[in-house]
Amino acid sequence: MKRERQQNAGQLSRRQILAAVGFIGLASLTGCGSGDGGGDSKDLSKKQNGAMKEFRVGQQFKASKPLSFSMLHNDNPGYPYKASWLFWKEVTKRTGITIKPVDVPLVDYEKKRSVLIGSGDAPFLIPKTYHPSEVAFVSSGAILPVSDYAHLMPNFQAKVKKWKLEPEIDSIRQSDGKYYLLPGLHERPKSGYSLSFRTDVLAKLGLSLPTTWDEVYDVFKAIRQEYPDRYPFSDRWSTNTAFTVGALQSYLGQAYGVHAGWTYDNISFDSKAQKFVFTGARDEYRAVIEYLRKLVAEKLMDPESFTQTDDQAIQKLLAEKSFAISANPQELVQTYRYNLSKQVKGATIEMIPVPIGPAGPVVLDGIRLENGVMVSSKALKSDDFVAMMQFVDWLWYSDEGQRFSKWGVEGVTYTYSGGTYTLEKGISLMGSDPSAKKDLQKDYGFFNGVFTYGGSWELVSSNFSPDEKKFQDAMSQRKQLPIAPAHPLQSAEQEQASLWTIPLQDHVAQNTLQFILGKRPLSQWGAYVSELKAKNMQQLVDLHNKAYERYKKEHG
Amino acid sequence: MVKPSRSHRVFQGVNGVILTLVVVVTLYPFVNIIARSFSNERQIRAGQVTLWPKGFNLTTYRIVFHDSAFWRSYGNTVFYTVVSTAVAMVLTTCYAYVLSKKHLKGRNFLVGVAVFTMFFTGGLIPNYVLVTSLGMKNSVWALAVPNAISVFNLLVMKAFFESLPSELEEAAQIDGLSTYGILLRVVLPLSKAVVATMVLFYSVSFWNSWFGAFLYMDRTELMPVTVYLRNIIAGATGGTNAGAATDQLSQVAANIQAVTIVLTSLPILCVYPFVQRYFVSGVMLGAVKG
Repeated sequence: MKRERQQNAGQLSRRQILAAVGFIGLASLTGCGSGDGGGDSKDLSKKQNGAMKEFRVGQQFKASKPLSFSMLHNDNPGYPYKASWLFWKEVTKRTGITIKPVDVPLVDYEKKRSVLIGSGDAPFLIPKTYHPSEVAFVSSGAILPVSDYAHLMPNFQAKVKKWKLEPEIDSIRQSDGKYYLLPGLHERPKSGYSLSFRTDVLAKLGLSLPTTWDEVYDVFKAIRQEYPDRYPFSDRWSTNTAFTVGALQSYLGQAYGVHAGWTYDNISFDSKAQKFVFTGARDEYRAVIEYLRKLVAEKLMDPESFTQTDDQAIQKLLAEKSFAISANPQELVQTYRYNLSKQVKGATIEMIPVPIGPAGPVVLDGIRLENGVMVSSKALKSDDFVAMMQFVDWLWYSDEGQRFSKWGVEGVTYTYSGGTYTLEKGISLMGSDPSAKKDLQKDYGFFNGVFTYGGSWELVSSNFSPDEKKFQDAMSQRKQLPIAPAHPLQSAEQEQASLWTIPLQDHVAQNTLQFILGKRPLSQWGAYVSELKAKNMQQLVDLHNKAYERYKKEHG
Repeated sequence: MVKPSRSHRVFQGVNGVILTLVVVVTLYPFVNIIARSFSNERQIRAGQVTLWPKGFNLTTYRIVFHDSAFWRSYGNTVFYTVVSTAVAMVLTTCYAYVLSKKHLKGRNFLVGVAVFTMFFTGGLIPNYVLVTSLGMKNSVWALAVPNAISVFNLLVMKAFFESLPSELEEAAQIDGLSTYGILLRVVLPLSKAVVATMVLFYSVSFWNSWFGAFLYMDRTELMPVTVYLRNIIAGATGGTNAGAATDQLSQVAANIQAVTIVLTSLPILCVYPFVQRYFVSGVMLGAVKG
């Protein structure tokens, strides 16, 4: 027994030493993890490896020697990543660049992106980043202020200038006056959602499709008279969102010139007063609530709209318990029209351009920028930096590159004539040809959301269905609301603001719903605003106005 | 034995009713999911499916069965679960056995080391940096090694080993067995119950886990089926899985979640009844020291 004990004691001490060594190792490892700042200087003369001496708009980018860059790839389950995609091969053939994708499932893309950037293990290119999510990484120095290197990107600069996107670009600048994201650029604003109506029912009642919100009200009223036991309108997009009926509130808000629903933001710019104000306390916001309150109070809108799932709302439409619902062009065709044609004889449904309200024919501001590309600060240390920026410029911003990543290779995946793109036989895009064996996204890797967005109106509209074309053509005639001027917060302010933001937004969301459903009378609006004040509404507004003044003074 | 009193019988009755309700409440979602997975799209959307499939339909099963990505992920899950469970069992058993020896010097320190990790962790990014710099990324070790010792399991096992009569081991030692011989030939054969329980605990948790794989795997072909499931749910219901307006696609969208949930939980559900008797006695034995 004694012998064994001694033996054990011996083993133990060895283990203790091992454990201790392990701890020291761990500590030194984590100690080493701290970053060593961003890139050194703006001297790019030594980072020209593979770059083109002169790279201009309209020129094909071709690296002078084969290079490869790592890139975070958002893997969409609709078209899961394949190494065999023609896209990868063709990119290499045309540019001499091999993209090395780090594949991340779509659902948790943001999470993995944060970990990779935080651990200093991020790939050089980080696409599919939505403003303002890049802001979180700015203070760590892990991502590059790309505005310092915009001169390497002639296509990007040309498009910003030609499409007069400077105010939009200014709106994403940080407090140092730089921007850290290369956003997708749209020539014209593209709208997504609007109301859709059962046109056969309207025809039967001798009604035409409404063009203003007043007419929408009249049409609902007339339907209700004909069908007193049903709600004319039962809406969807109320789940997984702070603001119920998020789509409806958003495009209704647009008609009043205010960000509501999905697009709600606590802070908005009052261009008359030339200062920032609190969105949820604006008169325009109140008018949106009043309009919806009227619909619910007069039983024109199903009160369950605010709680039901999308499926329930669609089911009511298909069962003819309602005759109008929010739509986007894809849902209109694939869900409503397709199922109605199977279940209701003679049913037709159309989506209308967003009805016009007091703000006139406008669309929301800021929608000409899309998600975009962040560049890891590590990339600046690479000798290939200039070539990489030129490559990014060609692939994401040149007409040729955008056409390529959207439609593929002419003669192989598509043909182009008379301003229209036609897919080659046997290739389908989002179900355009159910009998086709191949799919442009799944089998060729084109039309991939990582690379394809924005661009000229000609290119953006080139794949619209007839319904979407009609809708977008009408919408693209409208004027964009003025862009809020730049008002970037400094990082301490940012922290303070985020403490106030969520409780305020929750309070707005809750009360919006209560006002609409009549659980709280609108006569209590004043009390509601004082509640917001108690939750630091004014401090938040002041913070943004201070930032606005400061930025104006420093950056003109 | 005393005849049960009336109040006792009433208590038994009430108890039975409440427990039956609990069973119903916990079972219902499972049954509902299974019913949905076999039902027709229209009945699902109309909310008619409760306990029994309505409009029997196998389209989604057929489509998932033909998806090579699904089987590849499934294979990965099986592989990861088997390897990780094996590694975890070896390490946890060894650690627990050592800790169960009261005469071990520094035993409290070793227990403390383990328990410390229950309350404090390095955090996400340090863990990621560690695993990456050890070169374990994109391999099964990234999943197996960091999760090899679950402190809860370790403590249950330790308690079990402590409850074994030390005389047995002394006898074995007199008969000339080494330390490892005692562990392998005497202690482990007597510990089937706790070993089975631990295998179950570990394999279920490895089977269900997705975050580690999501974090440490950079290629789609390495993902386990749970990541596939997460992705498909987001894809099919988020409208990103844009496809043709055909019968098949709306059917698939209606119950692909139910189908994949059934398919991923099926193997574990099959294992459960067989391990269950060990499971109950294992936990009891570990908890109540003799």
